[in-house]
Amino acid sequence: MFGLPVETALLVFAFPVFWVLYTIVFLFVSRHWKREEREDGGT
Amino acid sequence: MSSTVIVFLLLYYVVVLGIGYWAMRRGAGEDLEGFLLGGRKVGPMATALTLQSTSMSGYMFLGAGGLGYLQGYWAMWFAAGDIGGGVLNLSIIGRRMRKLSQMMGALTSIEYLEKRYPSAAVRLFAGILTVFLLGFYVLAQLIAGGKGMALVTGIPYPLALAIAVGIVLVYTFMGGYLAVAYTDFFQSIIMLVGVMWIVIASLSELGGLTAANDAIAAVDPTLLSVWGRDLGFQGQWGVVAGALLIFSIGYMGWPHVVTRHMAMSQPATARKAGVYATVWNLFFVPAPYLVGILAILILPGLEDPEMAIFEVAGLLLPAAVTGLVMAAIMAAIMSTADSLLLQTGSIASRDLYERFINPQASEKQMVLVSRALVLVIAVIGYLVALIEPPSVFGIVIFATSVLGSAFLPAYVCAVWWRKANTPGALASMIVGASVAFLWEYLGLAASTQLAPMLTGVVSSTVAMIAVSLLTAKIAPVPADILQIMDEAARVGPIPPQLLAASDGAMGSEAAAIDIALSKRRD
Repeated sequence: MFGLPVETALLVFAFPVFWVLYTIVFLFVSRHWKREEREDGGT
Repeated sequence: MSSTVIVFLLLYYVVVLGIGYWAMRRGAGEDLEGFLLGGRKVGPMATALTLQSTSMSGYMFLGAGGLGYLQGYWAMWFAAGDIGGGVLNLSIIGRRMRKLSQMMGALTSIEYLEKRYPSAAVRLFAGILTVFLLGFYVLAQLIAGGKGMALVTGIPYPLALAIAVGIVLVYTFMGGYLAVAYTDFFQSIIMLVGVMWIVIASLSELGGLTAANDAIAAVDPTLLSVWGRDLGFQGQWGVVAGALLIFSIGYMGWPHVVTRHMAMSQPATARKAGVYATVWNLFFVPAPYLVGILAILILPGLEDPEMAIFEVAGLLLPAAVTGLVMAAIMAAIMSTADSLLLQTGSIASRDLYERFINPQASEKQMVLVSRALVLVIAVIGYLVALIEPPSVFGIVIFATSVLGSAFLPAYVCAVWWRKANTPGALASMIVGASVAFLWEYLGLAASTQLAPMLTGVVSSTVAMIAVSLLTAKIAPVPADILQIMDEAARVGPIPPQLLAASDGAMGSEAAAIDIALSKRRD
């Protein structure tokens, strides 16, 4: 891919995909945190 | 030097000074919580971007480009960990630390440690270590700022250094944390736009990524490998693990970064901030490394690889855009320098001066002392940087490795492990800092093929677990701390009776700590 060896392509593309998935999972498992939000909160 | 470059730099300086003035007008310096934490009013996007831009110093434009230029795609190991640093930090400690720090009335990340692990020794050791290391880290940023400014404008280094230091000092002095957070927000946007512009220009010049990689393979195929030039790092998984860890989980041990959690407008801010952090990182983090790699083709035989991004920008971009890129580089440096300056001043004033020297100081006095110490540290930093500029990025790697190793288990266990006690935390900090320091100082990374960060974090974690378990009976975690830990774990508003009665008022707070400690001793 893009002229890179397989392991380099994995390093360049798989890690970002992993972090995107981690963020999505975090958003999902923390959805109940909304209960803690105040209406006057923050800037 | 192009007048367009100067216009961009001037515009940039006017905006950051304007933000400092705005923060001051919003009352950022009226009380200590306002000056040190922006009154805990910072929203998700500003939290994410101040966290990221503070973590990513001038290293990203100088060191990262240089590493890509020298080692090819091996440098991407650092980016691979770094992309997740923000969301990892926010998801693991963000919400709980925000809640716990408010319940304990902690205004600095070191004060937070003392209140979670009650002991004057924790605060003294952590305070001195942090002031010492952040002081060196500030120095590195000031030197980078002065050198960058001198290179861009052509003015002599001492004057360039004075301008760079002066501007950071003025807006930090005026607006405290609020100014730092919102200038960081602005600076992170400039950084992103600037670096993306260089990436696009470089790829256009080389006919796209595939053509560029084919051309690099023709120069030296090992530059495309994950093991570095001439496969120099082949099989060195300890070094690879260090590269992945230092800018991912390492952030969780940096006192100037975890303060961002304490200043969030509410605990749940961590959730959206995590998303913004990942989005920003996906675009920004790999870019400087990639430009360094592409510079192998654009500027072969470059004398100083750390100048790869500067040189590529100067060669490929029109003057107006070069001005923007130079502003971006200054933004990367200044967004870290301001946070370091404020944190070093805050910790020196609140955790050392007020805690151990003058516990009766009024809040107004403390805002003045904090500002005075920010000024003193900036002046000392300027003078040292002027006399003997040491190796900038050696200092950054050294300071970040020791800080991360010393504090990572202490911050993570503070919110997640009920058995983490004072002797465990103290042992963890001392062991982690000592191992990382000695590993760096004795150059053991080369002979053992293990990065200082890796050995430091493993040792401090083992020390935390072993000492906490061994001393569980003689030094149990106090019941009131266990109660607020349970409350921090629970999702819901903090009950009024658990909110610190004197949040921000250090005089009475210090007295309260003394009373509580003496009661425990009795």
